Amino acid sequence: MSTLPLIAGNDIKRQFVQPFAWILLALTCALLAWQFLIALDAYLRIAEKLDALPNSQGATDLIAIPLLRSLSGLLLLIAPLATMQSLAGERRAHTLPLLLAAGTGNLAIVLGKFLGAFVTVALIVLITVSMPLMLEFGTALDLGRLAAASLGVLLFGASLTAIGIACSAWTTHPALAAAAALVIGSLLAMIDMGARFQGVDNALINWLSLSTHLEPFYSGLIASVDIVYFLLVTLLALLLAARRLDSLRTRG
Amino acid sequence: MLHPDENRDPVTLLLFNLYSKSPPFGGFFFGKPASSQAPRRAMHEEATVDPALALAGLSRNNPRRMNESSPVLSLARVSRQLSGRVIVEELDLTLARGEVLGLLGVNGAGKSTTLRMMSGMLAPSSGAVLLGGDDLYENPQRARRDIGYLPEEPPLYGELNVEEYLRFCARLHGIDRHAVKPAVEKAIERCELGEMRQRLTSLLSKGFRQRVGLAQAIVHEPALIVLDEPASGLDPIQALRLRELIRTLAKDHAVVLSTHVLSDVLACCDRVAILHQGRLRHSAVLSEIDADSALRVHIERDVDNDAWMRMPMVASAQIIDTRRWRIRLRDGVSVSELAKAINDCSFGLLELRADGNALEDIFVRIATQPDTPEAAA
Repeated sequence: MSTLPLIAGNDIKRQFVQPFAWILLALTCALLAWQFLIALDAYLRIAEKLDALPNSQGATDLIAIPLLRSLSGLLLLIAPLATMQSLAGERRAHTLPLLLAAGTGNLAIVLGKFLGAFVTVALIVLITVSMPLMLEFGTALDLGRLAAASLGVLLFGASLTAIGIACSAWTTHPALAAAAALVIGSLLAMIDMGARFQGVDNALINWLSLSTHLEPFYSGLIASVDIVYFLLVTLLALLLAARRLDSLRTRG
Repeated sequence: MLHPDENRDPVTLLLFNLYSKSPPFGGFFFGKPASSQAPRRAMHEEATVDPALALAGLSRNNPRRMNESSPVLSLARVSRQLSGRVIVEELDLTLARGEVLGLLGVNGAGKSTTLRMMSGMLAPSSGAVLLGGDDLYENPQRARRDIGYLPEEPPLYGELNVEEYLRFCARLHGIDRHAVKPAVEKAIERCELGEMRQRLTSLLSKGFRQRVGLAQAIVHEPALIVLDEPASGLDPIQALRLRELIRTLAKDHAVVLSTHVLSDVLACCDRVAILHQGRLRHSAVLSEIDADSALRVHIERDVDNDAWMRMPMVASAQIIDTRRWRIRLRDGVSVSELAKAINDCSFGLLELRADGNALEDIFVRIATQPDTPEAAA
């Protein structure tokens, strides 16, 4: 597994010597910063009225959590874009033989690729979280809740990144990998939408949804079942990607 | 698997005898498949010791490590199917340190698939690829340090410059951090990439891309270097230097290169293996082919094979075109006796010379007669 950090490091380096990762990072942060400023402006307009109300919502409820909710929606698109090149691009550029012929295990390749792509996703999450964190200088934030929500979004992002890696392993076309990851991620996030409209919120289909497991984090609840769910989705997707690499070795 | 009593041409018979008498690793395996124990592959597991391994003096449980005298690479009845089609069938090959093996074949003969299996990139459907006695697919870490592979398309990361790329390749192949710099410098020097070291690989010409690909294959000084069409895209001067480099590398490494350029094989290989339709149709030491060269005879008359075989000094006759023949003489017979016999038979002798293109003839014969397998030495 000593090649894992090497592959991850190489991917990170290659991503950030190209403009794509920087542009993705810049555009996402600009969009979220704009949302943050609008939410802050709205909050400042009603802050005095809110102070007069008992048990009123604060900056965490009205600025930080909505911002992270927006981010989780954007991650459905960002994660596929960050992962589409990882294995599909290698296959398309005929560079995968370098890793396969170097005695590197399939799982090490997949984990290296996952870490390489997740750095971009995690960076976007951290930059986004830093925006409401700056409010701590002027107001009291619920830091525990913010930390829980950040952890939830990171786990959500990890699952989407792993799904992106799996899709990237199954095709040589990066655009197709991104489209497949977007569809699968969105489907998993909204799979229980119909059931919710019917008033069903505690069935298996609800349990399968990514959103069901992300929601408690926004309330500051860190439940082991939710963490295990995200880790399971991540692990399953990475194993599927490793299986695909194995089939490339055995079936050609 | 071919046996000594099967019909073969004299070159192959000679080589068969030569190789089969050279213990312990002189020739190809003549045993049952040395199949991997990996359950994912269709295996023909034997309870007894695998003869292929036994011949090589190895056992699966106690493989001998690579040393100077042992073959670096052994392919034992290796077959490979892709999408239900047989690409490589029952291939037996060995390669020792210091040897350069040329893998010849027309497009689609199975060369690249064979090289991918040799490099550890692709698992065989059956049979075993042994690297220094270890099954490559059960010990993939061996590939990391001991194999350098240049695929048909050089695996270059366009976002990195030459030096960065080679540093990554060196680390990927297990070179210690402190030893990376000298290893990269040596590879750059060997492949004459000094002036391009800071250039992005995506901006390199085809020839330089090929050289960077070669540099990544040798940067970790592997025991086995596998090169798929290494001269592709090189200009004549670069191709000449590549041949020199391969000969230099062969002093300390075993080299396999695939090509369909006969001159590359003649210039830098010790042995040649000709693949056709996925099967090994011919394998020979190049010097033996040269020594065994036949005579090329150009005559005025149309004659048949029997007319030649009636001459007592003729061992075999093979038609090249309507009036050109490739004649092999019996031992101890002089060329002048043949010339005299041709005149006596009024064949109208126009030309009689040593056949300098024996390899080309063998290759063309195999490539144009797909259903007539040549004996493998």
